[in-house]
Amino acid sequence: MVICTTILAAGITGCTDEEKPVEPAFSFRKPVNFPEPVYTFENNPLTKDGFELGRRLFYDPILSSDGTISCSSCHQPVRAFSDPAHVFSIGVENRMGNRNAPPIFNLAFQKFFFWDGGVNHLDFVPINPIENELEMNSSLSSVLERLNQDDYYSGQFRKVFGKDTVDSRQMLHAMSQFLLMLVSDNSSYDKYIRNEGYLLSASEARGLNLFGQKCAHCHATDLFSDGSFRNNGLDPAFSNDPGRSRITESGADLGKFKVPSLRNIALTEPYMHDGRFASLQEVLDHYSDGVQYSPTLDPFLNQEGTLGIPLSEQEKQDIIAFLLTLTDESFIGNSQFYDPF
Amino acid sequence: MAALLLSIVLPSCDNEENQPSGSGTVTVKFDNRVGDTNLNLDTEDYPYSNDLGQEFKVSMLRYYISNVKLKRTDGTYYEDEVSDDGSKGYYLVDEANPESTELNLKNVPAGDYDELSFVIGVDASRVTEGVQTGALYPANDMFWSWNAGYIFVRFEGFSPVPTETNNGVIYHIGGYKSDPSNPGLVDNIRERKIAITEGLSVKKDANPMIHLKMDLLEFFKDPNAIDFSSNASRHSPAACTDIVENYVKAFTFDHIHE
Repeated sequence: MVICTTILAAGITGCTDEEKPVEPAFSFRKPVNFPEPVYTFENNPLTKDGFELGRRLFYDPILSSDGTISCSSCHQPVRAFSDPAHVFSIGVENRMGNRNAPPIFNLAFQKFFFWDGGVNHLDFVPINPIENELEMNSSLSSVLERLNQDDYYSGQFRKVFGKDTVDSRQMLHAMSQFLLMLVSDNSSYDKYIRNEGYLLSASEARGLNLFGQKCAHCHATDLFSDGSFRNNGLDPAFSNDPGRSRITESGADLGKFKVPSLRNIALTEPYMHDGRFASLQEVLDHYSDGVQYSPTLDPFLNQEGTLGIPLSEQEKQDIIAFLLTLTDESFIGNSQFYDPF
Repeated sequence: MAALLLSIVLPSCDNEENQPSGSGTVTVKFDNRVGDTNLNLDTEDYPYSNDLGQEFKVSMLRYYISNVKLKRTDGTYYEDEVSDDGSKGYYLVDEANPESTELNLKNVPAGDYDELSFVIGVDASRVTEGVQTGALYPANDMFWSWNAGYIFVRFEGFSPVPTETNNGVIYHIGGYKSDPSNPGLVDNIRERKIAITEGLSVKKDANPMIHLKMDLLEFFKDPNAIDFSSNASRHSPAACTDIVENYVKAFTFDHIHE
């Protein structure tokens, strides 16, 4: 909430072109119930103008080879920046990707990005979709060429970073500034846990309790992920997508994927790296009855010879009721994060 | 930590102009060769052969050099300045860009030196500190987007031998991650130490050049014979460990220009 207010206040002054106003304080604020951020803020000081530049880039198809795809094509704010329409998102020339587009929020707290964690610093995240031939199919150098030929961008970048040509460092720093401010910390759960006036219903309260016993082992902290990579028993083998082992080149990581946050989970279906589950019910049915053995299966899902997590139907309903309290309406409704075009 | 600070502070002290003996610029020339002949890019035919007798030609050869040091005869070091944003101390040698094959080490204190050392590659801090500048711009096409990190050495060429790759021989070599709990992660960062057998004498306002030879044939020779007929397109740290073991020796001292 603090963050939204800061941006709003800053937004009012940002529109004046004639006289440059004194720039109001524009800073990243850590929600009190979150762990410390890991982003290297000292190398990329946030400014209102930098944020706005990053926002524009996020919504601009100039990043793609044929000018048809922007980040927002697959990451829409009303769905907590996930893809509302596709199991596998669609890139240039209707090419289909091979993993489900994850939502975007609370990136300042993440050490690893993408389902396989191949990128270990936020600044480098946009390069991946820009250069992936199934997504934007472009290259950083050609994006920079286009930005430098564009009057708006060349002028704005000069204003924000004080250099005559847009380079990859400025461009990626601007994008990080926008992405960093996408903090989701104002769900009903947050208002409950911070004593801000939300009371859990009986079912939600039972769900929270069950969640602590059966889910928080991996979906830990108020980020609702421990940031680790785990094999959650989707398949007996992983020839289609080796997951984390593609990055580590270690058989011990076969079939492991990043534990996703469960914030805004009601908005981000379908679920899993391949979007195989359409509903939260299907996800919980997987954990209770569908877990399949393979050598790298997470030990938590294979205890005393029993695969999965025992869950009754009532328990599933209660957990789902709790998960719905993780939806952050003020985050998805924050027009400061919307399309500026 | 104290040692680290010292090592950073020392060379910058040397850079002070009030050094009584003064300082000069030392140029390090990387002369890319193939055995006894000069490396030529994009030739019509296949002028070169590896140790297995497989012919090849070269379309691209680029590599990162960093953390350059000169050892004095008294055992102390001059260290090339490395800046926080990567703009200083990292060099991208590109055979297609002759200027890039000469590194200028500035403010080298006068004195006698007998060893040059450098890292082939880019250390982890340049990734974990976020996007960098200078030679480390990610837009230089020496960066893995899907497995974030620099490509240390990028070799691309053709040979009649491989068929699966339309005759392409492509080795993108990187890998800086290490984690004791994960033996699968490959750290391909290598330091090369090269004795300056003639000795290097740096004097005030002089600009001597250390002429190094970089023999591409060494990439494919010893101790691991590299066979172009299979696995000819390599794009991951573990896939290239054999070439890395070979190429450290490719860099050798040739002579000094005063």
